[in-house]
Amino acid sequence: MGALGPLFAKDLRLLWRDRAGLFFLMIAPMVVIAVAGFSLANLYGADPSGQTAYELPFVNEDGGTLGRSIRERLANETSVRLQPVATRAEAEDLVRRKRAGSALVVPAGTEAALDRGEPARLVLYVDTVKYLERLNVRAKLSELREDLARERATRLADDARAERERVAQQLGELRSRTLRAHDELEAAWNDAAKRRRGAEASIARARDDVAQALDARLAPLRAYLDQLAAKRRAFEDWLAELRRLAGSRADAIPPPPAFPEPPPMVSAAGALPKLALELPALPALPKLDVPDVALPPPPAAVRASLGVDEVNVGGGAVTMNTFDQNVPGFAVTFILLGMLLGVSLGLVDERDWGTLDRLRAMPVSLTQVLVAKLGARFCVGVAQMMVLLAVGWLCFGVSLGPEPWALVLPTIGIVFAGAAFGLVVAGATRSREALLPVGSIVIMTMAAVGGCWWPIDLEPRWMREVALAFPTTWAMDAFNDLMMRHRRHEAALVPTAVMLTYGLVYLAAGVALYRRRLR
Amino acid sequence: MGEMTLVEVRGLRLALGGRTILDDVSFAISAGEVVGLLGPNGAGKTTTLSVLSTLRRPDAGTVVVAGHSVSDAPAAVRSALGVVPQSIALYPSLSARENLWFFARAARLRGGAARAAVDRALALVGLADRASDVVATFSGGMQRRLNLACGLLHAPRVVLLDEATVGVDPQSRERILDAVRGQATRGAAVLFSTHLLEEAERVCDRVVLLDHGRVIASGTPAALVHELGEGLRLTLVTRDPLPAGWLQGAAAGSAAGAPVVTPRGHEAQVTLATLADAALVLERATATGGDVLEFHLHQTDLQDVFLRLTGRELRD
Repeated sequence: MGALGPLFAKDLRLLWRDRAGLFFLMIAPMVVIAVAGFSLANLYGADPSGQTAYELPFVNEDGGTLGRSIRERLANETSVRLQPVATRAEAEDLVRRKRAGSALVVPAGTEAALDRGEPARLVLYVDTVKYLERLNVRAKLSELREDLARERATRLADDARAERERVAQQLGELRSRTLRAHDELEAAWNDAAKRRRGAEASIARARDDVAQALDARLAPLRAYLDQLAAKRRAFEDWLAELRRLAGSRADAIPPPPAFPEPPPMVSAAGALPKLALELPALPALPKLDVPDVALPPPPAAVRASLGVDEVNVGGGAVTMNTFDQNVPGFAVTFILLGMLLGVSLGLVDERDWGTLDRLRAMPVSLTQVLVAKLGARFCVGVAQMMVLLAVGWLCFGVSLGPEPWALVLPTIGIVFAGAAFGLVVAGATRSREALLPVGSIVIMTMAAVGGCWWPIDLEPRWMREVALAFPTTWAMDAFNDLMMRHRRHEAALVPTAVMLTYGLVYLAAGVALYRRRLR
Repeated sequence: MGEMTLVEVRGLRLALGGRTILDDVSFAISAGEVVGLLGPNGAGKTTTLSVLSTLRRPDAGTVVVAGHSVSDAPAAVRSALGVVPQSIALYPSLSARENLWFFARAARLRGGAARAAVDRALALVGLADRASDVVATFSGGMQRRLNLACGLLHAPRVVLLDEATVGVDPQSRERILDAVRGQATRGAAVLFSTHLLEEAERVCDRVVLLDHGRVIASGTPAALVHELGEGLRLTLVTRDPLPAGWLQGAAAGSAAGAPVVTPRGHEAQVTLATLADAALVLERATATGGDVLEFHLHQTDLQDVFLRLTGRELRD
């Protein structure tokens, strides 16, 4: 492997000395990317610079805020250049004279009709030949219409929401006042009950006081009655003695007058009737359950209309810049050109210069010569791709995805596959004259079918399946995943592995063919 | 193979596309010897060199270079070789020094040794003052000299030169031939393929003459001329044709071929045994009525031998 270093350095030096080659490697792709990017700027409906904006005559017959809003929005669109005109006829005339591909009219009464809830329509004069322009303006108007409808619905919803909030606030106030009144009533109620209980206690105390006073006043009477009862029992005892003494005469003794029976003596407290204050009992206050009134949501008709939110599942922008397609696409194309033609023409040069035979007669193996040439081209190709992607990012606003370093993966894959395929072409062709058309056809086919020049989804299914046989398809898939779909490096692993596998197959075939060619 | 023999080719056969290119070619080159490989176009010189330089495998025969078979040990053979191809085999966008540096490194020279070899090679071919110039700006002679230098800078034991002086001016040719002799002087075995016989006669110790893929003669130039040449030849141009048998009976020489008519007059050639016979032949021509307009005396050389052996018909 001792000669590999000098061979590698020599190939790099040869490339460095080849100014035209360097131009081809770096400047030409940038020029083509810029030209193609600006030329096809409207292909995906998004011209980042506004340089290729469509002329769009605009007539506001309505004169209302809706018309003004449409005009303001279109004026801010980079993809159209709004040209306000006074009359519908003037707008129509501009389209007829091919000064514009379409013209927009906001008819009188549009806004009023919408306010009344009636359908309203805008008028778009079109030149059907300018298909793409019509399509893009139409798409732009659809977006605008959706935006306006959404805003209108949002405004109505906001109004309803405000009204609802106002009513809810009033209901809230009513509820709080009711609750407050209930609380006050309850407090008064409780106070009345308390006062009643106070009155009852006062009455009870007054009764006790009366009973005590009565008992005190009746005490001498009770003592007299007690003495009287004792005297009666003493009289009855004396009478009995008398009768006994009277003996037979006892019957002659007349019965004494009967003593009245003393009334039963009870305490005044027990005798006094209970003084019941016949106050009406307070009815229990009903439990006040003031409901929290939940107002119904605004009616469906007032809500925002059904819209579509496009979400890039990878997190990137949903719109596509034409350079998003062209930068990796043409970079891959030129990488292929650089690798395939660079390797094959480099070997043809070595053959034509006689240096290959000279090297083969030196202690240098053919494998070393091929590996060094492929290696030098590989390094240059990777650097070229990095530069082109960086230029795309800096000059054309292309996204490099969440992991820009991951772009190295598909770059390595496609550069290796392209360089190895260059060896196949060099081995399969006899001369420079044969190599150039064969190489060009191969590159053009690989690039076109592989989706380098247009999104591969534009191709029919069978062609997309055929395209899997080309490394360009896998390269573009990986670049699109990393740059446009904003996926991480894992997304590029399989495509890179496939490209490296293709590269190894090409390498084996190329070495075999080239050895055969040298025999 | 002898002790000093560095190249030995024995019974070499090679066919390409069904056509025999080399047929039983044999020769040897010793150390310090310059051997010329001569032959007309298509004789097989370049093919022989390509076999020796391991670019082609022989169909049969033995080819040994510096003790290694080209068939069995091509890598070892390449290490001993210094090849100067017929076409300019240089990188046109690199400078002379860059070319030499690269080929020195490819020949496994490193660092100081490589630098010294590059400087020596530049001095050898007189390009030291143009070392930094890009090869594409060089004249044909300069490129040819550099082409030679690239093959010699690692002091190979065996040097193969294929038409090394084609299309160069006399100064460059002299420098190249001196360099070739210098290789032999330092002990290398040199195989010098050329169709310039005067060069071969000057530089080569021996020559091998190929034609139609076969060795038709070999030896030192002097020996070949001596063995196969005709000695001295006198060419007479007369106003009138010399009569038939005008030289008959003269012991001075013998007619070489039939007289021919040229724009200058009637031309006749006579082979002489000695230089002194020239005067006798001239007298005889004058005496037989030929008005001698001019005469040329020519010593047979390698070219005469070459033409005699290979004929005068054109080759492609």
